[in-house]
Amino acid sequence: MTSHAGPLQPPRFATWLVNLFTSADEGSIVGDLLEEFSDLASKSGRALARRWFWRQTAKTVAHLFGAGYRSAPWSTTAIILGGFLLLKLAHGLPDKLLMAVTDRYLLYWSNHFQAYLWVLKGLRIEYLIGSAVVGCIVALAAKGREMIATMTLGLVLCAMAVVATVWVVTTTGDDSYLWNFPWHLSDSLVIVVGGAIVRARRSGATHRLSGA
Amino acid sequence: MPVRDYLGEFEHIIVLALLRLEDRAYGVTVRQEIEFRTKREVSIGAVYATLDRLEAKGYVKSRRGDPTPERGGRSKRFFRVTARGVAAVNRAQRALHSMSEGLDLIRSYA
Repeated sequence: MTSHAGPLQPPRFATWLVNLFTSADEGSIVGDLLEEFSDLASKSGRALARRWFWRQTAKTVAHLFGAGYRSAPWSTTAIILGGFLLLKLAHGLPDKLLMAVTDRYLLYWSNHFQAYLWVLKGLRIEYLIGSAVVGCIVALAAKGREMIATMTLGLVLCAMAVVATVWVVTTTGDDSYLWNFPWHLSDSLVIVVGGAIVRARRSGATHRLSGA
Repeated sequence: MPVRDYLGEFEHIIVLALLRLEDRAYGVTVRQEIEFRTKREVSIGAVYATLDRLEAKGYVKSRRGDPTPERGGRSKRFFRVTARGVAAVNRAQRALHSMSEGLDLIRSYA
Protein backbone atom coordinates (compact mmCIF):
# COMPACT_ATOMS: atom_id res chain seq x y z
CA MET A 1 0.00 0.00 0.00
CA THR A 2 1.06 3.60 -0.18
CA SER A 3 3.14 5.26 2.46
CA HIS A 4 2.11 8.73 1.26
CA ALA A 5 1.02 10.63 4.36
CA GLY A 6 -1.27 13.64 4.82
CA PRO A 7 -4.76 14.58 3.67
CA LEU A 8 -4.00 14.24 -0.06
CA GLN A 9 -3.99 10.48 -0.07
CA PRO A 10 -5.00 8.59 -3.23
CA PRO A 11 -7.50 5.70 -3.10
CA ARG A 12 -5.63 2.96 -1.21
CA PHE A 13 -7.36 0.12 -3.05
CA ALA A 14 -6.43 1.60 -6.44
CA THR A 15 -2.79 1.97 -5.35
CA TRP A 16 -2.81 -1.62 -4.12
CA LEU A 17 -4.25 -2.80 -7.46
CA VAL A 18 -1.51 -1.07 -9.47
CA ASN A 19 1.12 -2.55 -7.12
CA LEU A 20 -0.26 -6.04 -7.83
CA PHE A 21 0.40 -5.63 -11.54
CA THR A 22 3.83 -4.00 -11.40
CA SER A 23 7.00 -6.02 -10.93
CA ALA A 24 8.32 -6.26 -7.36
CA ASP A 25 11.26 -3.86 -7.92
CA GLU A 26 9.28 -1.42 -10.11
CA GLY A 27 7.86 1.36 -7.93
CA SER A 28 8.12 4.05 -10.61
CA ILE A 29 4.58 3.62 -11.94
CA VAL A 30 2.97 4.06 -8.51
CA GLY A 31 5.44 6.87 -7.75
CA ASP A 32 4.44 8.68 -10.96
CA LEU A 33 0.73 8.25 -10.16
CA LEU A 34 1.23 9.59 -6.61
CA GLU A 35 3.19 12.59 -7.89
CA GLU A 36 0.53 13.53 -10.44
CA PHE A 37 -2.27 12.88 -7.94
CA SER A 38 -0.73 15.29 -5.38
CA ASP A 39 -0.24 17.92 -8.06
CA LEU A 40 -3.78 17.53 -9.43
CA ALA A 41 -5.37 17.47 -5.95
CA SER A 42 -3.69 20.73 -4.93
CA LYS A 43 -4.66 22.43 -8.23
CA SER A 44 -8.14 21.05 -9.00
CA GLY A 45 -9.41 19.49 -5.77
CA ARG A 46 -9.38 16.07 -4.21
CA ALA A 47 -12.57 14.71 -5.82
CA LEU A 48 -11.33 15.33 -9.36
CA ALA A 49 -7.90 13.95 -8.47
CA ARG A 50 -9.44 10.75 -7.08
CA ARG A 51 -11.53 10.28 -10.22
CA TRP A 52 -8.42 10.81 -12.34
CA PHE A 53 -6.51 8.30 -10.18
CA TRP A 54 -9.19 5.62 -10.60
CA ARG A 55 -9.36 6.20 -14.37
CA GLN A 56 -5.58 5.91 -14.64
CA THR A 57 -5.62 2.78 -12.46
CA ALA A 58 -8.18 1.02 -14.66
CA LYS A 59 -6.32 1.86 -17.88
CA THR A 60 -2.91 1.10 -16.38
CA VAL A 61 -3.97 -2.30 -15.04
CA ALA A 62 -5.47 -3.20 -18.45
CA HIS A 63 -2.24 -2.17 -20.23
CA LEU A 64 0.03 -3.98 -17.78
CA PHE A 65 -2.17 -7.10 -18.06
CA GLY A 66 -1.88 -7.11 -21.88
CA ALA A 67 1.81 -6.21 -21.93
CA GLY A 68 2.63 -8.84 -19.29
CA TYR A 69 0.86 -11.56 -21.26
CA ARG A 70 2.48 -10.53 -24.55
CA SER A 71 5.95 -10.53 -22.95
CA ALA A 72 5.79 -14.30 -22.27
CA PRO A 73 2.69 -15.74 -23.99
CA TRP A 74 3.79 -19.39 -24.21
CA SER A 75 5.00 -19.88 -20.65
CA THR A 76 1.95 -18.03 -19.28
CA THR A 77 -0.40 -20.17 -21.39
CA ALA A 78 1.39 -23.35 -20.24
CA ILE A 79 1.00 -22.31 -16.59
CA ILE A 80 -2.70 -21.53 -17.12
CA LEU A 81 -3.27 -24.92 -18.80
CA GLY A 82 -1.43 -26.63 -15.94
CA GLY A 83 -3.62 -24.74 -13.48
CA PHE A 84 -6.74 -25.82 -15.35
CA LEU A 85 -5.74 -29.51 -15.18
CA LEU A 86 -4.79 -29.15 -11.52
CA LEU A 87 -8.18 -27.62 -10.85
CA LYS A 88 -9.95 -30.58 -12.45
CA LEU A 89 -7.88 -32.87 -10.19
CA ALA A 90 -8.55 -30.76 -7.08
CA HIS A 91 -12.30 -30.69 -7.78
CA GLY A 92 -12.42 -34.42 -8.48
CA LEU A 93 -10.71 -35.48 -5.25
CA PRO A 94 -13.46 -34.56 -2.75
CA ASP A 95 -16.03 -36.44 -4.89
CA LYS A 96 -13.86 -39.57 -5.04
CA LEU A 97 -13.15 -39.38 -1.30
CA LEU A 98 -16.86 -39.06 -0.52
CA MET A 99 -17.70 -42.01 -2.78
CA ALA A 100 -15.08 -44.17 -1.07
CA VAL A 101 -16.34 -43.22 2.40
CA THR A 102 -19.97 -43.73 1.32
CA ASP A 103 -19.23 -47.20 -0.01
CA ARG A 104 -17.38 -48.20 3.15
CA TYR A 105 -19.82 -46.77 5.70
CA LEU A 106 -23.12 -47.19 3.82
CA LEU A 107 -24.95 -48.36 6.92
CA TYR A 108 -23.73 -45.38 8.95
CA TRP A 109 -24.87 -42.90 6.30
CA SER A 110 -28.28 -44.54 5.95
CA ASN A 111 -28.77 -44.07 9.71
CA HIS A 112 -27.47 -40.51 9.61
CA PHE A 113 -28.85 -39.24 6.31
CA GLN A 114 -28.95 -35.61 7.54
CA ALA A 115 -25.20 -35.73 8.15
CA TYR A 116 -24.72 -37.06 4.60
CA LEU A 117 -26.64 -34.08 3.22
CA TRP A 118 -24.40 -31.71 5.20
CA VAL A 119 -21.31 -33.39 3.75
CA LEU A 120 -22.75 -32.92 0.25
CA LYS A 121 -23.25 -29.21 0.96
CA GLY A 122 -19.70 -29.04 2.34
CA LEU A 123 -18.35 -30.25 -1.01
CA ARG A 124 -18.92 -26.76 -2.42
CA ILE A 125 -16.70 -25.29 0.27
CA GLU A 126 -14.05 -27.91 -0.49
CA TYR A 127 -14.18 -26.90 -4.17
CA LEU A 128 -13.58 -23.29 -3.16
CA ILE A 129 -10.63 -24.24 -0.94
CA GLY A 130 -9.25 -26.35 -3.80
CA SER A 131 -9.62 -23.41 -6.21
CA ALA A 132 -7.82 -21.07 -3.79
CA VAL A 133 -4.94 -23.56 -3.45
CA VAL A 134 -4.73 -23.93 -7.25
CA GLY A 135 -4.73 -20.11 -7.55
CA CYS A 136 -1.76 -19.97 -5.15
CA ILE A 137 0.11 -22.72 -7.05
CA VAL A 138 -0.48 -21.02 -10.43
CA ALA A 139 0.73 -17.71 -8.97
CA LEU A 140 3.84 -19.38 -7.51
CA ALA A 141 4.65 -20.87 -10.93
CA ALA A 142 4.03 -17.58 -12.78
CA LYS A 143 6.65 -15.56 -10.93
CA GLY A 144 6.30 -11.87 -11.80
CA ARG A 145 3.06 -12.51 -13.71
CA GLU A 146 0.97 -13.86 -10.83
CA MET A 147 -2.09 -11.70 -11.47
CA ILE A 148 -1.97 -12.17 -15.24
CA ALA A 149 -1.95 -15.97 -14.94
CA THR A 150 -4.62 -16.23 -12.20
CA MET A 151 -6.89 -13.61 -13.78
CA THR A 152 -6.70 -15.29 -17.18
CA LEU A 153 -7.49 -18.67 -15.61
CA GLY A 154 -10.38 -17.07 -13.71
CA LEU A 155 -11.73 -15.41 -16.86
CA VAL A 156 -11.49 -18.66 -18.86
CA LEU A 157 -13.41 -20.52 -16.13
CA CYS A 158 -15.99 -17.71 -15.98
CA ALA A 159 -16.51 -17.85 -19.74
CA MET A 160 -16.85 -21.66 -19.60
CA ALA A 161 -19.37 -21.39 -16.75
CA VAL A 162 -21.46 -18.84 -18.68
CA VAL A 163 -21.48 -20.96 -21.87
CA ALA A 164 -22.24 -24.19 -19.96
CA THR A 165 -25.04 -22.60 -17.90
CA VAL A 166 -26.69 -20.99 -20.94
CA TRP A 167 -26.42 -24.26 -22.89
CA VAL A 168 -27.82 -26.45 -20.08
CA VAL A 169 -30.66 -24.03 -19.24
CA THR A 170 -31.69 -23.57 -22.90
CA THR A 171 -31.51 -27.27 -23.79
CA THR A 172 -33.17 -28.65 -20.65
CA GLY A 173 -35.38 -25.67 -19.82
CA ASP A 174 -34.50 -26.30 -16.15
CA ASP A 175 -33.50 -22.96 -14.64
CA SER A 176 -32.50 -24.57 -11.32
CA TYR A 177 -28.98 -24.83 -12.85
CA LEU A 178 -28.77 -21.06 -12.51
CA TRP A 179 -28.36 -21.55 -8.74
CA ASN A 180 -24.96 -23.15 -9.38
CA PHE A 181 -23.76 -20.16 -11.35
CA PRO A 182 -22.71 -18.02 -8.33
CA TRP A 183 -20.61 -20.98 -7.13
CA HIS A 184 -18.80 -21.14 -10.48
CA LEU A 185 -18.12 -17.40 -10.30
CA SER A 186 -16.84 -17.81 -6.72
CA ASP A 187 -14.37 -20.44 -7.99
CA SER A 188 -12.90 -17.91 -10.43
CA LEU A 189 -12.84 -15.23 -7.76
CA VAL A 190 -10.95 -17.33 -5.18
CA ILE A 191 -8.36 -18.28 -7.83
CA VAL A 192 -7.67 -14.56 -8.37
CA VAL A 193 -7.63 -14.02 -4.58
CA GLY A 194 -5.05 -16.82 -4.29
CA GLY A 195 -2.95 -15.04 -6.93
CA ALA A 196 -3.28 -11.70 -5.11
CA ILE A 197 -2.18 -13.27 -1.81
CA VAL A 198 0.97 -14.77 -3.37
CA ARG A 199 1.71 -11.51 -5.24
CA ALA A 200 1.26 -9.37 -2.11
CA ARG A 201 3.48 -11.69 -0.04
CA ARG A 202 6.21 -11.71 -2.70
CA SER A 203 6.03 -7.95 -3.03
CA GLY A 204 6.24 -7.54 0.78
CA ALA A 205 9.24 -9.90 0.95
CA THR A 206 11.04 -7.93 -1.79
CA HIS A 207 10.43 -4.63 0.00
CA ARG A 208 11.68 -6.09 3.30
CA LEU A 209 14.82 -7.38 1.55
CA SER A 210 15.49 -4.04 -0.19
CA GLY A 211 14.85 -2.17 3.07
CA ALA A 212 17.26 -4.41 5.05
CA MET B 1 8.62 -13.18 -28.98
CA PRO B 2 9.99 -11.76 -32.28
CA VAL B 3 11.10 -8.13 -31.98
CA ARG B 4 9.80 -5.80 -34.71
CA ASP B 5 12.46 -3.55 -36.20
CA TYR B 6 10.19 -0.58 -36.85
CA LEU B 7 8.28 1.88 -34.70
CA GLY B 8 4.54 1.58 -34.10
CA GLU B 9 2.47 4.78 -33.90
CA PHE B 10 2.58 5.09 -30.10
CA GLU B 11 6.23 4.05 -29.97
CA HIS B 12 6.98 6.79 -32.50
CA ILE B 13 5.13 9.36 -30.36
CA ILE B 14 6.97 8.25 -27.20
CA VAL B 15 10.42 8.47 -28.81
CA LEU B 16 9.61 11.97 -30.08
CA ALA B 17 8.46 12.95 -26.55
CA LEU B 18 11.75 11.64 -25.08
CA LEU B 19 13.73 13.64 -27.65
CA ARG B 20 11.76 16.79 -26.78
CA LEU B 21 12.15 16.34 -23.01
CA GLU B 22 15.87 15.43 -23.17
CA ASP B 23 17.14 14.76 -19.59
CA ARG B 24 13.74 15.56 -17.95
CA ALA B 25 12.06 12.49 -19.47
CA TYR B 26 10.38 10.23 -16.91
CA GLY B 27 6.87 8.72 -16.64
CA VAL B 28 5.01 11.87 -15.55
CA THR B 29 6.65 14.32 -17.99
CA VAL B 30 6.38 11.88 -20.92
CA ARG B 31 2.68 11.26 -20.23
CA GLN B 32 1.94 15.00 -19.85
CA GLU B 33 3.93 15.94 -22.96
CA ILE B 34 1.96 13.44 -25.06
CA GLU B 35 -1.38 14.58 -23.60
CA PHE B 36 -0.51 18.24 -24.18
CA ARG B 37 0.60 17.78 -27.79
CA THR B 38 -1.78 15.04 -29.03
CA LYS B 39 -4.81 16.17 -26.92
CA ARG B 40 -5.61 12.56 -26.02
CA GLU B 41 -5.66 11.00 -22.55
CA VAL B 42 -2.82 8.56 -22.07
CA SER B 43 -2.41 6.14 -19.16
CA ILE B 44 0.85 5.78 -17.31
CA GLY B 45 0.57 2.01 -17.87
CA ALA B 46 0.52 2.50 -21.66
CA VAL B 47 3.58 4.76 -21.42
CA TYR B 48 5.56 2.25 -19.33
CA ALA B 49 4.47 -0.79 -21.37
CA THR B 50 5.71 1.00 -24.53
CA LEU B 51 8.91 2.26 -22.90
CA ASP B 52 9.73 -1.28 -21.70
CA ARG B 53 9.18 -2.57 -25.23
CA LEU B 54 11.41 0.17 -26.67
CA GLU B 55 14.09 -0.66 -24.09
CA ALA B 56 13.92 -4.35 -25.10
CA LYS B 57 14.46 -3.27 -28.73
CA GLY B 58 17.47 -1.18 -27.70
CA TYR B 59 15.89 2.13 -28.77
CA VAL B 60 15.73 3.53 -25.23
CA LYS B 61 17.82 3.30 -22.04
CA SER B 62 16.66 3.97 -18.50
CA ARG B 63 18.28 4.91 -15.20
CA ARG B 64 16.87 5.41 -11.72
CA GLY B 65 16.77 8.76 -9.91
CA ASP B 66 16.62 9.30 -6.16
CA PRO B 67 13.44 8.48 -4.18
CA THR B 68 11.38 11.54 -3.18
CA PRO B 69 8.76 11.98 -0.39
CA GLU B 70 5.98 13.29 -2.72
CA ARG B 71 6.30 10.01 -4.63
CA GLY B 72 5.83 7.95 -1.46
CA GLY B 73 9.57 7.27 -1.29
CA ARG B 74 9.66 5.83 -4.82
CA SER B 75 12.34 6.76 -7.33
CA LYS B 76 11.85 8.25 -10.79
CA ARG B 77 12.91 6.25 -13.85
CA PHE B 78 14.53 8.51 -16.40
CA PHE B 79 14.67 7.54 -20.07
CA ARG B 80 16.84 8.61 -22.98
CA VAL B 81 16.87 7.65 -26.65
CA THR B 82 19.86 5.62 -27.90
CA ALA B 83 21.60 6.12 -31.25
CA ARG B 84 19.65 3.12 -32.53
CA GLY B 85 16.42 4.78 -31.41
CA VAL B 86 17.31 8.01 -33.19
CA ALA B 87 18.01 6.04 -36.37
CA ALA B 88 14.65 4.25 -36.02
CA VAL B 89 12.70 7.49 -35.54
CA ASN B 90 14.51 9.07 -38.53
CA ARG B 91 13.55 6.06 -40.62
CA ALA B 92 9.92 6.32 -39.52
CA GLN B 93 9.83 10.08 -40.16
CA ARG B 94 11.28 9.62 -43.65
CA ALA B 95 8.73 6.89 -44.42
CA LEU B 96 5.86 9.10 -43.27
CA HIS B 97 7.17 12.07 -45.21
CA SER B 98 7.63 9.96 -48.32
CA MET B 99 4.11 8.54 -48.05
CA SER B 100 2.46 11.93 -47.49
CA GLU B 101 4.51 13.88 -50.04
CA GLY B 102 2.32 15.43 -52.74
CA LEU B 103 -0.91 14.78 -50.85
CA ASP B 104 -2.90 17.86 -49.94
CA LEU B 105 -4.28 16.14 -46.81
CA ILE B 106 -6.05 19.07 -45.15
CA ARG B 107 -7.86 20.35 -48.26
CA SER B 108 -8.56 17.07 -50.09
CA TYR B 109 -9.57 14.69 -47.29
CA ALA B 110 -10.90 16.90 -44.46
